[in-house]
Amino acid sequence: MNPILVLGAGPAGLSAASELASLGAPTILVERESFLGGNPIRWHYSLLAPDLKPAEEVIGALVKKVQADARIERHLSTTLEKAEVGAKGYRVTLKTADTSEIRDVSAVVLATGFDHFDSRRKYEYGYGRFPDVIDFKEFELMLHENKVVRPSDGRVPQRIAWILCVGSRDVQVGNPWCCRLGCAVSIKQAVEVRQKHPEVDAYVYYMDIRTYGLWEDLYWKSMQEYGVKFIRGRIGAVTPAEGGGRLLATGEDTILSRPTEVPFDMIVLASGMEPSAGTKQVAALFGVPVGPEGFLTPQLTDLNPVDSGLPGLFLAGAATGPKAIPDAVTEGMGAALRAFQYARS
Amino acid sequence: MSIVANLPRRTLSLSEEEAARPVAMHLTGRQRLSSEERTLSEKIFEEFRSDPRHHEFVLGCLNCGECTTGCPAARFYDFSPREMLQIAANGDATTLWDAMQEKIWACCQCYTCNMRCRFGNDIAGIISVMRELSVYHGLEATRRTLAPFGRSLTLLMTVGTQVSSDMIQPDFFRDWGPFATGSDKVWQVGADVMRRAIPTDVLQTTRSAWEVSVQTSLELFRIYEETGVLDMLRGLDPDLTEMLVDIIEERREEFQEARERFADEIAGMKGPVATFQG
Amino acid sequence: MLTANEIRKVVAERTAHQRGTGKKVVDVREEMEHLEEKGEIIIHRIRAVNRPVELHTLFGWTKQIPTDRLWHHKSCGQCGNIPGYPSSLLWLMNETGRTYLNEPHQTSCTAWNYHGTATSNPVALAAVAARNFHRAYETDHFPLIHCGTSYGDYKEMRKLLVENATVRTKVRDVLRKMGRDLVIPEEIVHYSEWVHAMTPELVARQKLPLSGVIATVHEPCHYYKMVPEDAVYDEAVYSGQRPAVPSGILMALGATVADYSTWYDCCGFGFRHILSEREFSRSFANLRKIRPMIEEAHADVAITSDTGCVTTLDKSQWIGKTHGLEYMLPVLSDVQFAALALGAHPYKIAQVHWHSSSAERLMTKMGIDWQAAKAEFREYLKALQSGAQPELLHPAHGEIEKFFAINKGQVLPDEAVTPAAPTATSGAGPGGRS
Repeated sequence: MNPILVLGAGPAGLSAASELASLGAPTILVERESFLGGNPIRWHYSLLAPDLKPAEEVIGALVKKVQADARIERHLSTTLEKAEVGAKGYRVTLKTADTSEIRDVSAVVLATGFDHFDSRRKYEYGYGRFPDVIDFKEFELMLHENKVVRPSDGRVPQRIAWILCVGSRDVQVGNPWCCRLGCAVSIKQAVEVRQKHPEVDAYVYYMDIRTYGLWEDLYWKSMQEYGVKFIRGRIGAVTPAEGGGRLLATGEDTILSRPTEVPFDMIVLASGMEPSAGTKQVAALFGVPVGPEGFLTPQLTDLNPVDSGLPGLFLAGAATGPKAIPDAVTEGMGAALRAFQYARS
Repeated sequence: MSIVANLPRRTLSLSEEEAARPVAMHLTGRQRLSSEERTLSEKIFEEFRSDPRHHEFVLGCLNCGECTTGCPAARFYDFSPREMLQIAANGDATTLWDAMQEKIWACCQCYTCNMRCRFGNDIAGIISVMRELSVYHGLEATRRTLAPFGRSLTLLMTVGTQVSSDMIQPDFFRDWGPFATGSDKVWQVGADVMRRAIPTDVLQTTRSAWEVSVQTSLELFRIYEETGVLDMLRGLDPDLTEMLVDIIEERREEFQEARERFADEIAGMKGPVATFQG
Repeated sequence: MLTANEIRKVVAERTAHQRGTGKKVVDVREEMEHLEEKGEIIIHRIRAVNRPVELHTLFGWTKQIPTDRLWHHKSCGQCGNIPGYPSSLLWLMNETGRTYLNEPHQTSCTAWNYHGTATSNPVALAAVAARNFHRAYETDHFPLIHCGTSYGDYKEMRKLLVENATVRTKVRDVLRKMGRDLVIPEEIVHYSEWVHAMTPELVARQKLPLSGVIATVHEPCHYYKMVPEDAVYDEAVYSGQRPAVPSGILMALGATVADYSTWYDCCGFGFRHILSEREFSRSFANLRKIRPMIEEAHADVAITSDTGCVTTLDKSQWIGKTHGLEYMLPVLSDVQFAALALGAHPYKIAQVHWHSSSAERLMTKMGIDWQAAKAEFREYLKALQSGAQPELLHPAHGEIEKFFAINKGQVLPDEAVTPAAPTATSGAGPGGRS
């Protein structure tokens, strides 16, 4: 059997590679970054919702498993340059900074994931203009390093706002979909801050709270146990507050139907999820159909969410739409199984 | 039977009969309206919902409030574009009627809400539709709101420009300071001389924004007659409308006289200048 | 900052998305070609004689900007309140050897009225637009629109005329009754786009260095919030993230264009408000615009490119002193500022004396001897008062033009590319479906 190619070493790709190896299939794992683990490792996520376990611990276990398995050939800092349909499977060209290698593979798992939305595109929040307006992945790093301070002056913030749905559910930036995780991650961040610094005021500005399924518990606890404040309505303008130093967040409280203007020390934007550059690239290389949002479209979203409909090509993780880590891991397993069946048939 | 079971829901599905019941009248606020107002409000509501632009402009709403946050009017008036959009999308005859009394006139028509709206609604546009209806039906509150605009409406209807420099009188625009009116003592000449110092003849008038030829204003009035604007205005202010018709009649006569006077010059020309009869 | 190419990609994706979800963002210009083929409209083409320059719009579409042989579509607010605005533009055209018509045969777009008092309707607005379009067409001069609202309105009306057959038919009927036809210009062009296209030529004629001047820009809402896909963006200006006008010319002239947090806010004009609710307009203008410009950006001057915005931002400040807001930040249009930089007379041409917030401090900073210019202007006024003839930028119009939109021997519909006769289904002509 020719090896099976897994593209992307985030939660879905790691999970697929590890399952393929355990099924006895020779596996090539290709990752464009220089490390394994994907976005959670790249951006140094702190605790993961909803169980508040450290990201490094969760993803680290998967990474170790893959690293320890001799049947998995790992190619870091490598991209796919070319893909042609072979007699069975594909002939692919793997490229690094200074090498280029042609390989025949019997099946491919696309686990190319997502990128965080670039919040500069929503200029009214002042990201990129005010140092104390930060992106939630940057805040994850602060939490991870246990250094929650204002980038402008290094002071511990007294009042922090989270703005949900930045670059999600918004036709003005061309992203009408929900990122599914912004609510949970922001609430988790607020809880984490309140655990470590109970004196910090935490406000979450939301349109709807979508802590779906069992994650609802996190939302309730954030109010009951951690006193996180929720205001329904979006911030529409961030300007320097009078007296200097703070940022004035202006919005409408749409439950009380009145304007709200609160000075904050720091504002955290829950930036949305978009198809990653890699996802767009493989869509074009393999001719995988994409939806209007730019994510890869499975052949049957209900009964077979990991089949692309093209021979020997399988999909897993956030490449097909915003997804939580457990779902990405599950899809990695499913795609591994389908790829293995295809390669062996 | 429980009283709760009898309570009407405040929805669009209330039949006339249901809506006329005392409890429904109370809950929907309709008891405040006279029976004429109730009839008119139903009619306006029907016209509003059946305007093709309604379907095009009102798409849905997440109630995020970004439109209201960016809205200049919301900052100083009891006004919210979100509320207007909600009324347009889900309201009933009474809520629409109420909004059309004063609130719609707070809007600045700056289109910031449109640019902000994550759902892609045309909020400024739907407010304009409400305004058109309030003018067309000559609502009392609309008459009050537009009362100060007789002068600019006259200018608009007769020459097609709104602001003339003789409208910017020191008495009424004291807050703009002495320079805006061309009346500053520094220059020691009258406003007419200040206008003559503008280096283009078309602008050296105080009676309209620029000198507008008679043919142009007659063409404009023709458009107003043909497109129902004059009828709209008649609903709002019949006296003003009659006055405008008189003014235009005079200009038509003036135009005909000029036609004879300049017959030779015009004879060799083509296009509207040769065919337009006023 | 995102790179310009990234932005282009973003907007391309946004376009693709909006098309995919049924929200109409189609290039109406393509539709216009089809309509002309069917004989439903006449497109007023930009020709070589207009010396076009190619710019880019929000979605990366190209837009031809004619720079010569232009028909000035004046602004009803501008000409009454800020006469230095059109004067400066005409002066710049004279300086750069551009020809134009500045006629009495133009109505305003009447959208001030629609947005202020709603005593109009879309069919009337479309007919007014088409009337002015046709007048420009029959003189063979390309319309150049001075006002942001006229520009926004005409873009909306173009869309309406192209997308709605009923309105189109009705408007054509009305126009034919006055001997005109349905003409839509190939592009709707705002004068600030002309300025942007002319930047190299203007900079080449610059007389005063502006390196010490800090300018803040107020972006007119109706320039880029109405029919946003047609506004001009340029990679060299804010990496293409904000409209290129009027910031581009200021940067090119060497002024420091300073940013402030409320740049995207409205000025507070409100159409109706600027006349009958001025407490509102001035509160908004002072608190949301002028104050951030002064406190955050330390501006010497506020520059904008619309009539209403100049009026509101300028005239609202004088009364501010009653509330302790003594800003008096000069507010000029981009063309007044550019004309001053190119050496125009501050009073005779830029007409800065109509502005409530004095430009004297700014002029000192720009190196203009305004005291001398003022004395000269005073003499000029005296002469005018004693019956001297005014100095004009273009020849005065004759008596006959007070009455008639006279034909100046230019292209007329029957001499131009003759479109096919409208078909019965298009409902053209007085007897057609309406």
